[in-house]
Amino acid sequence: MNKFNIASFVAVLVLTASIARAVAPQPVKSGTRDKCAVCGMFVAKYPDFAAQIHLKNGTVLHFDGPKDLFSYYLNPGQYRPKLAPQDVAAIYVTDYYSLTPVDATTASYVIGSDVFGPMGKEFIPFAKAKDAQGFLKDHKGKSILTFRQINQGVLKGVQ
Amino acid sequence: MAANLERQRHIVDFTVASLLRRKGKNGALLAVYTVIVFLLASVIFFTHALKQEAARVLKDGPEIIVQRTLMGRYSPIPRSYADDIREIGGVQSVRPRLWGYYYDGSFLANYTLMVPDEAPPPGEIVLGSGISRLREAFPGDIVGFTGFDGRPQSYRVQGLLPEESQLVAADLILLAESDYRQLSGIPADQATDLVLTVRNRKELATIAEKIVKLHPDTRPIIRSEILRTYDALFSWRSGVVTVLFTIAALAFVIFAWDKATGLSAEERKEIGVLKAVGWESSDVLLLKFWEGLLVSLTAFLLGTALAYLHVFAGTFWLFAPVLKGWSTLYPEFRLTPFIHFGQLEVIFLLTVVPYIVTTIVPSWRVATIDPDMVLR
Repeated sequence: MNKFNIASFVAVLVLTASIARAVAPQPVKSGTRDKCAVCGMFVAKYPDFAAQIHLKNGTVLHFDGPKDLFSYYLNPGQYRPKLAPQDVAAIYVTDYYSLTPVDATTASYVIGSDVFGPMGKEFIPFAKAKDAQGFLKDHKGKSILTFRQINQGVLKGVQ
Repeated sequence: MAANLERQRHIVDFTVASLLRRKGKNGALLAVYTVIVFLLASVIFFTHALKQEAARVLKDGPEIIVQRTLMGRYSPIPRSYADDIREIGGVQSVRPRLWGYYYDGSFLANYTLMVPDEAPPPGEIVLGSGISRLREAFPGDIVGFTGFDGRPQSYRVQGLLPEESQLVAADLILLAESDYRQLSGIPADQATDLVLTVRNRKELATIAEKIVKLHPDTRPIIRSEILRTYDALFSWRSGVVTVLFTIAALAFVIFAWDKATGLSAEERKEIGVLKAVGWESSDVLLLKFWEGLLVSLTAFLLGTALAYLHVFAGTFWLFAPVLKGWSTLYPEFRLTPFIHFGQLEVIFLLTVVPYIVTTIVPSWRVATIDPDMVLR
């Protein structure tokens, strides 16, 4: 009986975890009133660079570009609402070539290119690493970074 | 304020009465004036509507079209080019297209042949309404064409294209790929051109550059260039019509100038009497201003309304041959009404304002003379 209880508990746990994974919040289209959580610009004007962080409580934070998203993400507590890393449910950036939202944590970012975002120098995100390499060559990019490689130092260089 | 309004009202009353007193002369003036506004407005409405139509058609068109050139002229493109171009970063899709023109000698008409994504089965075709009308071919009928090698080809009409998209679809024939290759003689490994989908418009120039680097014998055409070409073409054509019509406009200017400057002895006398009975120069000017405004505004409204009917409800019979081009199949198409405030502004500035200015200056000269001199 006891054994059965534990087994069913584990099963329920696994089930809820998989459901939680399955219902990871989908990217949303930014509305005309949505402002960038870092710089305050209206996001809908720059759909080609739009980025967003979905929090576990359902809040969606919009950013006018990956640079501001990283400013926010790497400086928890500096902007409002204050961010705790465990609150994040999903992060999306816009793929430069397909202009569709892609998972930010698995994207590749080109820096130092001759393509500028709404706030000047920008991380240019790509879902496929191959696209990033091609872009780097076409647009005189400096390097390709993964989500984890982007830190305060890199961010300073882009600002 | 109320007194001023009352004064204006009385003067307008007087103006209308005075205009009606010389019915024949003012009527003729109004008629000629209306015709001028009508011609000008027709041309402006028509070119704008055409441009609009072209823009609407091209809005959903491909971002880049890749053609191959041979000695500077168009030539069919090998399908293998599509595979290389698909590899370029930022290109979402590449599709080889098959289309072309067919000249029908017995009906003296040009048709556009096209192989659509969902092509009819081999041996069957879909006709545009213009061709259907011209050749009196309806669903179920058999239509014959002459192939590139002189051999006759016949197809069964599967259906007709809807009437709404007349400008693009009137002369269109949709057919299967195998039928098209048989009719036109284009080899199996070649296509008419390639169409590319590119999501990020900032990348268009880079992609075009890379295509040329990859295949130096190709010419990528970006959609904005096509739009610009259409714009230039229609502007040029409307320019031709405008030049023709300038002569008519000039005649009108002379007519108006004559009418306005050489105030007839009768009119001078009228002004003299008005001044003698106590009108001030400003009142006389006001009278002339209202007169000009009434005549020109009536002509403006009548002319633009007639032009609107002519362009959008009629068939634009006056300038159609010049503006619409070569195909004998077009003349029945209707344009979607499209009026922009800017167009009305242009027509207004070109017709009403000059008229008011030309009438007010000479009247002012007369209005300031001593009534005694005019009446003597």
